Amino acid sequence: MPQLPQIQSVKAPDRAVVDATKPRRFKYFNLPFLIVLALLVSYGLVIVYTAVYNDADYSFSRQLACVAIGAVVMIVIGRFDYRNLSDFTTVLLVVSVALILSPHIPGLGTDAGMGAQSWIKVGIQVQPGEFAKITVILLAASVVSRYGGRLDDVREYLKALGIMLVPFLCIMTQPDLGTGLVYLFITAVALVVGGARPKFLLITLVAGIAAIAAVFAIDQVLYDATGEYKLLKQYQRNRLLVFLEHDSVNLSDEGWNLKQAQVAIGSGGLFGKGLFNATQATLGFLPEAPTDFIFCVLAEQLGFFGVMALLALYAALVLICFRIAGASSDLFGTIIVMCTVGMWLFQILENIGMTLGLMPITGIPLPFVSYGSTGMVMNFMLLGLIGSVWAHNGR
Amino acid sequence: MLAAIIATIVTVVVLIIALVVVFTIRNRTKSPKASSKRMDVRAINTVGVGARSRGRGHADARVNAPQTSATNLGETLRPRFIAMGVLAAGIFGSLAVKAWSLQSNSETYRKEADENQYTTVSTPAPRGYIYDADGIELVRNRKSLTVLADVEVADDRTVVQRLSAVLGIPHNVVRYRIQDATTGAQSQRVVASDVDLRNIAFISEHLSAFPGVTTQERSVREYPWGALAAHALGYASTADDKDLETPIDGAELEMGDVVGKSGVEAGYERLLAGTHGQRVLVAAADGTVQRVVSETDPEKGNDIYLTIKAPVQYKIDQMLADLVAPTDATIGTGKGDSASAVVMDVRDGSIVAMASYPTFSPEVFVGGIGDDMWSLYTKDSEFQPLLNRVIAGNYAAASTFKAFTGLAGLAYGFADTGRSWDCTGSWDGFNTGAPQKCWLRTGHGPISFREGIVQSCDTVFYEIGKNFFQAGASQGGTISDTAMQEYVEKYGFGKTTGIDIPSEAAGRVPTPQWKAEHFADYPEAQQWMGGDLTNMVIGQGDVLVTPLQMAVAYGAIATGNLMRPHLFKEARNSSGEVVVSFEPEVTGVPDVPPENLEIMRDALHGVATENESIAKLFGEHGIDAAAKTGTAEYSDGKNESAWFVCYAPFDDPKYVVACQVNHGGGGSEVAAPLGVEIMAAVLAADAGELDPTVGVVAASSGKYIPLPLKSDGSGRTD
Repeated sequence: MPQLPQIQSVKAPDRAVVDATKPRRFKYFNLPFLIVLALLVSYGLVIVYTAVYNDADYSFSRQLACVAIGAVVMIVIGRFDYRNLSDFTTVLLVVSVALILSPHIPGLGTDAGMGAQSWIKVGIQVQPGEFAKITVILLAASVVSRYGGRLDDVREYLKALGIMLVPFLCIMTQPDLGTGLVYLFITAVALVVGGARPKFLLITLVAGIAAIAAVFAIDQVLYDATGEYKLLKQYQRNRLLVFLEHDSVNLSDEGWNLKQAQVAIGSGGLFGKGLFNATQATLGFLPEAPTDFIFCVLAEQLGFFGVMALLALYAALVLICFRIAGASSDLFGTIIVMCTVGMWLFQILENIGMTLGLMPITGIPLPFVSYGSTGMVMNFMLLGLIGSVWAHNGR
Repeated sequence: MLAAIIATIVTVVVLIIALVVVFTIRNRTKSPKASSKRMDVRAINTVGVGARSRGRGHADARVNAPQTSATNLGETLRPRFIAMGVLAAGIFGSLAVKAWSLQSNSETYRKEADENQYTTVSTPAPRGYIYDADGIELVRNRKSLTVLADVEVADDRTVVQRLSAVLGIPHNVVRYRIQDATTGAQSQRVVASDVDLRNIAFISEHLSAFPGVTTQERSVREYPWGALAAHALGYASTADDKDLETPIDGAELEMGDVVGKSGVEAGYERLLAGTHGQRVLVAAADGTVQRVVSETDPEKGNDIYLTIKAPVQYKIDQMLADLVAPTDATIGTGKGDSASAVVMDVRDGSIVAMASYPTFSPEVFVGGIGDDMWSLYTKDSEFQPLLNRVIAGNYAAASTFKAFTGLAGLAYGFADTGRSWDCTGSWDGFNTGAPQKCWLRTGHGPISFREGIVQSCDTVFYEIGKNFFQAGASQGGTISDTAMQEYVEKYGFGKTTGIDIPSEAAGRVPTPQWKAEHFADYPEAQQWMGGDLTNMVIGQGDVLVTPLQMAVAYGAIATGNLMRPHLFKEARNSSGEVVVSFEPEVTGVPDVPPENLEIMRDALHGVATENESIAKLFGEHGIDAAAKTGTAEYSDGKNESAWFVCYAPFDDPKYVVACQVNHGGGGSEVAAPLGVEIMAAVLAADAGELDPTVGVVAASSGKYIPLPLKSDGSGRTD
């Protein structure tokens, strides 16, 4: 073996490079971020406990375990350098599609009695569509960040849009419109933050609305021809109708759900009925109280001020995430954080909005509050990514 | 207004927060201190990305070109962050505003939530008991464990078979009972009453295996004497839809309550029905009860004491059964197809006994009567056991009517004690060529008014009727065409007596006007004829009366007063205090000259003392009475119907008895022995000599054989 020359001295690397590539061990996580997160998750756990403590169908310890697992996963992911992921666009796309389509695999998928093929059973029941939110965010970030913050070429815009629409089209085969809308929203945020031309976005929006109108029109034509709606299921129509005319008396299940949700929220008043004093939720008037309608449980027990506290925590989380996004060392990180924030915002808007009658009813969980293991672990994974963005921002 | 203000404030606050955030981010990106290092780092990174991308040939340099400066990137990102901030502020703001609008006026929602969680269940109150005049229980309550099911359960094979297995009832019977609609479309159907506690416990513990099935402990009616006085007592059963829609004034009727449907049960529903208890429950959406918030106990209804004397009633019930269906409880083996009898105290209108045969068992209505029993009790071919013939049986009055038409004749001078008629057995006073016959075809010969009553000579009354007809205004006479009717109506005929139980019939006293209306479609039959009056004068033709009307009217002959008949004596509350008691009510004093009344009383006394067959009957019991028989004839060949009315003691009238045996034969042969026996029993009871035994009375079996038509051509025998 030939002898290598002895190195006497090494020029110290550029400090900036060192700072950027070496994470700081003790300022690993943003402290306000952790505090707000702890408050939010504890608040959610308290509410979930009051909703499930008397219900054999749900297990609070399972929810606790999810939070614990989530916390560990968050720390692990936080140590990992997210930037390693930016090149794997194709892999991310494949993983997303595989996850979203996995419930279609015979023997693995189940509709869990809910009508949509959204679950798989691997020992426990999980919703791969939830986990796919992470890969969809990463995919969007990896696609858009390529353009360095300026996306003003039509062909490139369409290419990026085309890639990002793939997960949406896949989820619509389950079908799960709620999650699909989340994907679309993530895509939209990525395009906005990624610098797509406002003109493109506007045209896309118009096209989207036109597409929805077309779906309804075609469905109506199919109905006239075959006597049944083919594209939209009856419950989807009902939900939309209930939303559009929720002041009128509507005896459908969806109308009843909305009515009971509003009774729950309204009866909470300013200060609420007190923890464990919810009647709408514990007596079964609220459907799916611990999951989709958890906000009503909170609003009934803690009233308007409890609601404001929740919104304040969310707002604080969003603010801190904005800071982290702004402080990111690269566009990829910024887009990851902004897409995550956008996703949460959309879920908050949809979940709370539907119970308030602002949005149509769709089964979207409330981040960090709703009962459910997949969503909770998924959100913690995203927190881990955000942590990673913060940790690797080079400061 | 306040809401709008606060909503605005909230929105403003949220917007301010959003703006602060936006500006903070802006400042940070601008701050040279913060960005100096990042600038370099970013430059390195972007270069790296660009290099890698180029290597893979994915993105071109054109795209990467503007990215070389980090400050440029920060500047380009700023408006996008602002857009996201505004979006977040908009979302939080609108959610807060909407939450405020719902939660600031929580009153209506709170009320709705309370309506959701609290369920008020009324617990049925036991009905009051019913006693006879001397405190013998006639109707009481007992507890019954009942299994009920929703109508839909009939379609659920597994549940039906489970019920069948647990209750030991064939499954087709279970299904049949659930489908049975007599208790009303909405109510739960009784699958089984008086179920063993063990089986009830099993069902209650496995309710999830019996969807739509409930178990209840009900307080139900119990009839210790079976069908005794069934028509007077009436029956009670679960309220049906009609009852629930139109409850008696002030009654709070709930689904599943038992209500009186006939007789005293219906007439005194308000006294008998207790006050519901109330339980306020917290119930879940699926109906499972979580806890009881408050509870008030139900209050039992008042006990009612009747004027009926159970031992007398028992005797009469048995007499009627023995008369009509002596063999194997089969109608047709005795006299007639049905019979009824009523005993009234002429002094105050108290009904001492009221019996109608065929009778029914009120017990079968407990928990809902089955379709088969219902049809047995109401179908014409089974002679309608539910019909209370005493108050609702419209019958031709026959010769018992002569007492009143006779009084009319006396009043208008068409009869007097000095006058004599000649009865040849056949009478054709209107020269129609179709003579009317006296019941004694051979004729009574010369006969006085008094004898005309005693022997019940028809000819005397044909003459009186003819006189009324010819004196009528339409015949050029001086009196009203309806003079006789009006006179008869003074005694209460043609209208209800006002007895205190429902469903009373009014009977009919025909008038020219009635006939014209009745035969509106047959102009040739509308003409009021002399024959109408001569028929009416002997209680035939279109005259219809009820046994109760007859009793009240004869009571008025005995005392001079028309009394309102009643079964109610008094009501006592749960502590035994009398809360209501009846007041005798004189409903009318027929305006009849006293001397005429004396003539009539004397003549009726003559029936009881001089008419051989009748006098013999009364003689056996040493009763000094006034009486009248009647035999109603039918033109369709059916057997005659027998009447007998009497009051006693003659000098100091206490009781009047009226009885009718439908298609049973002649009054003196069939009805008189019955009526005299009844009177004897009543007087014996009054004297404390009647056997005080009360036994169980059997209801109609529903069995009957065809009745013979008129046995011979001899016609009436009274």
